[in-house]
Amino acid sequence: MTTELTVTSGRGAEPRPPRREDNDDITPAKVNWRHRLTHLDVKVSPYLYIAPFFIVFGLVGLFPLLYTAYLSLFDWEMGADEQPFVGLDNYTTLLADSQFWNAMVNTLSIFVLSSGPQVVVAVLLAALLNTALRGRTAWRMGVLLPYVASLVALTIIFANLFGPQYGMVNNILEFVGIDRIDWQAERWWSHVAIATMVNWRWTGYNALIVLAAMQAIPRDVYEAAWVDGASKMRQFFSITLPLLRPTMIFVVVTSTIGGLQIFTEPKLFAPAGSNNGGSQNQYQTVVLYMYQSGFEGFDLGYASAIAWVLFLVIIGIAGVNFLITRRLASTGGS
Amino acid sequence: MRYRRAGLAKALACTAVVALAATACGSGGSTTTSDGKTVLTIATFNEFGYEELFKEYEAANPNVKIEQRKTGQGAPHHQNLFTKLTAGSGLADIEGIEEGYLAKVMAQSSKFEDLKKIGPSDVREDRWLQWKVDAVTTKDGKLIGYGTDIGPLAMCYRKDLLEAANMPSDAEGVKALFENWDSYFAAGDQYVKATGKAWFDSASQVFNPMHNQEKVGYFDADDKLAIETNNDKKLFEQVVKAVEGGQSAKLVAWSDEWKRGFKESAFATKVCPSWMLGGIRENSGPEHKGKWAVSASFPGGGGNWGGSYLAVPTQGKNKEEAAKLAAWLTAPEQQIKAFKAKGTFPSQTQALISPELLNQTDEYFGGEKVGLLFAEQANKVPAAQYKGPEDGAIQENVIAPALQSVEQGTSGADAWNTVVEGAKKAAK
Amino acid sequence: MAVIHGRRTVVERPPDKGAGKGKGTLSDRRPGFTVYGILIAFILGSAFPFYWSYVVASHNDADIKGDPPLIPGGNFFANANRVLDTIPFWKALGNSVIVSGTVTLSVVILSTLAGFAFAKLRFKGRGPLMVFVVATLAVPTQLGIIPLFMTMSELGWSGTLGAVIVPNLVTAFGVFWMRQYIADAVPDELIEAARMDGCSMIRTFWHVCLPAVRPAAAMLGIFTFMTSWNDFLWPLIVLDPSDPTMQVALEKLQSGYYVDNTLVLAGTTMATVPILIVFLVLGRQIVAGIMQGAVKG
Repeated sequence: MTTELTVTSGRGAEPRPPRREDNDDITPAKVNWRHRLTHLDVKVSPYLYIAPFFIVFGLVGLFPLLYTAYLSLFDWEMGADEQPFVGLDNYTTLLADSQFWNAMVNTLSIFVLSSGPQVVVAVLLAALLNTALRGRTAWRMGVLLPYVASLVALTIIFANLFGPQYGMVNNILEFVGIDRIDWQAERWWSHVAIATMVNWRWTGYNALIVLAAMQAIPRDVYEAAWVDGASKMRQFFSITLPLLRPTMIFVVVTSTIGGLQIFTEPKLFAPAGSNNGGSQNQYQTVVLYMYQSGFEGFDLGYASAIAWVLFLVIIGIAGVNFLITRRLASTGGS
Repeated sequence: MRYRRAGLAKALACTAVVALAATACGSGGSTTTSDGKTVLTIATFNEFGYEELFKEYEAANPNVKIEQRKTGQGAPHHQNLFTKLTAGSGLADIEGIEEGYLAKVMAQSSKFEDLKKIGPSDVREDRWLQWKVDAVTTKDGKLIGYGTDIGPLAMCYRKDLLEAANMPSDAEGVKALFENWDSYFAAGDQYVKATGKAWFDSASQVFNPMHNQEKVGYFDADDKLAIETNNDKKLFEQVVKAVEGGQSAKLVAWSDEWKRGFKESAFATKVCPSWMLGGIRENSGPEHKGKWAVSASFPGGGGNWGGSYLAVPTQGKNKEEAAKLAAWLTAPEQQIKAFKAKGTFPSQTQALISPELLNQTDEYFGGEKVGLLFAEQANKVPAAQYKGPEDGAIQENVIAPALQSVEQGTSGADAWNTVVEGAKKAAK
Repeated sequence: MAVIHGRRTVVERPPDKGAGKGKGTLSDRRPGFTVYGILIAFILGSAFPFYWSYVVASHNDADIKGDPPLIPGGNFFANANRVLDTIPFWKALGNSVIVSGTVTLSVVILSTLAGFAFAKLRFKGRGPLMVFVVATLAVPTQLGIIPLFMTMSELGWSGTLGAVIVPNLVTAFGVFWMRQYIADAVPDELIEAARMDGCSMIRTFWHVCLPAVRPAAAMLGIFTFMTSWNDFLWPLIVLDPSDPTMQVALEKLQSGYYVDNTLVLAGTTMATVPILIVFLVLGRQIVAGIMQGAVKG
């Protein structure tokens, strides 16, 4: 989107005035108690506001984090009588573990098949929902329904859809004269089926997030563009998208993280709840492998090492996506 | 085989739990009630059939109050068990343990009490079938669980389908078919040739009992991987050949498609432990009533699938009281009551000769005297095979998927290589 | 909920922002049939599992084998009664409402507060702290159950609802979301104006920030409620089984070697009703948000 569009009014489209450092330069001369109180308010308030998060995190989040980091340095079998320190052995074993790399490829493949289309469709869906629809609440809540559906119901439904032998999709394929697909056996098709589940569950959710942000865009921005004769398409790409930047960053970062931690859907897709992700691990994802190592193999040290390597990969990919999104979303602006 | 649904009984509802829930106070870790009673917690899954027994025990022991922590399925129950075992607190005074998870528990035997030491002295090992006790006795002789129920194996088959294939279908006639695994697979070939349909539901459902009849399992007694030296390769190839001959319906056990397969008559025979009968009945539906039969002739003799134990974790507070309750619950008289309540098949020798059990019949299976039949099967179970700590992992995550991959088209040789590789990794 | 309803009239958008209501911009025109068509397709796909859950829940077990039915039967109340007989439904409902309600209220308030600080206030360490918050999202949570249980035992909280509530009082997800939203939805000038008028930080937050973020807060509320409502493994492990939350109670419907799906889905359907109520209540807030943004109803 290299098209530039001049927008005469409206925030966000032009560079912001630099933010004020503090408010303590309002009345530099008079230092009375009230001012001192204000000063304290300005200094301390931000920390007070973010404190709850860090307190809760310190109480219940930090210990598990440190604990898994610690475990990853041990040959820590759950319940075994001794857990010898092995240094980085778990990590070197992991990097040479073909099942891990297989799981990583599966994760990335399912991630690409799901997150990409999902974000695009979510933005378009949000745009549709942002029109002056009759009965808006119903439409909006409607697209969020998949997010609420119980996993029990979903397991049964998707098994009925993608069952290799009695599944509805295969019956339809056969009816229209296409070969049946073994959704469980073939790696690529298993990824497609899982990505379908993911997209079904999360697209509406992302659409609503984007929608919430779209509503914050003031009308006058569009009016200015309209006066300038910009088409709807152009308005969308040159105004809406750039103004959605913070939200798009949020959506991209969280769906990157969620996509790379994908666990529920491949677990549901496996018949009878196996953690293998298919007979040859065709669709075993990294977190599924971690879960299997930790809670089925009870090898918590190794599972912790998987968790930390995945963490680094996520930070890397999410960071890159963050930068790309920031760049892309800002092209329409300044 | 899947452990997740394995455990005890077939029925679903149990109003006693509601009654219990209504009276129980959220007492978490407390060990006595306000009026000074000792509180004993017992964690079970599925249906152990104990609800009425608890009331009976409380009436006979007015100083004891029992709290049941009940989980629906085996998998979350055991996940809970292992989490709290690791965390070092939070377990119930008595924990139910399913056979499929036993090897993992045995590997952590130091976290459970030796019931020979703290249990009532009148509880002798000959209360149970020998193999049931052996499986829960550690190498250094500790007994870490009292047996509750078992799942002796028989062969279930569809009379009508065998008839349609011009094969013998009466109780005497099928004996020859199910005499050993060779005859079983030969009959399978005959059936496939005649009908073009599958003989059994899933390859791993057949391989597991074959493997369990062997003297040496995945590990030898020194916990060394034995998969390349025991008979498994031969058995594996036998099953692979059957799959390649079209004998498998390729349905993953417990999956929705597998359940549907009963209704669709997708296979003619099914390895069935005692507790499977209810599932066969429900999954096949009323229109197949009288078409299923169960045969006491099981290839290669007998076998067991499923069944549980009651164990007392060392982290508990009232360990001797807990052992006393566990001993009482697993006495033959009580297990017969549990059997009547929820159909859990008892593991106690005295219970196996009780008329109430022996006279049990099943209308769905042509009025067969299933109590008698499975009691006989229980006595045919060979000596307990030694299980290493990774036994479950190899069976669930190495063998079962490899056999599934054969059903999906992988060659037997490739699949076996995967098995050896995977077993080595699991045993590392 | 008080937060979301509260004081909406105090600060509207400044006149120069919301005044122009011209015809013909992207959002104001009534959409055509195509838009409705696409949306209907979406909704049908989205609502199907609910509909189908009800269909199964309203049949008896023998009906649903083989090809699944598509039309509701007349057996729902019989199945619902069986659910009530099997599990402590009302107790579990009460617990779940307490847990999810508290968690939702707390997450919305505390995340908005933190998001406001991160988006609009200047303080030392803001950047690194925010990066830290987001980074905590990238840690897979599944393994945390064991150490978390150890923590709860240590604190003596296991077996109490607090053990399920406290770990979720404020989430990194919520902070990140509110920060991103507030960064754009609340104009800096507005905050400065309020500060000039002598508003304290907290008053500024309450009167300027909160009213402007209602759609986002409502969204966060819905998501949080849902996540909390559907949480299974942690409540299963940490709660007293006789005093469970809804999902833990529902799991008991699946015991036995044969699972009766009519019973399971009847329980599931009944447990969905409270969520739908939350949907309707908070959903209106999202729409109210757009009204403020000056689109005519």
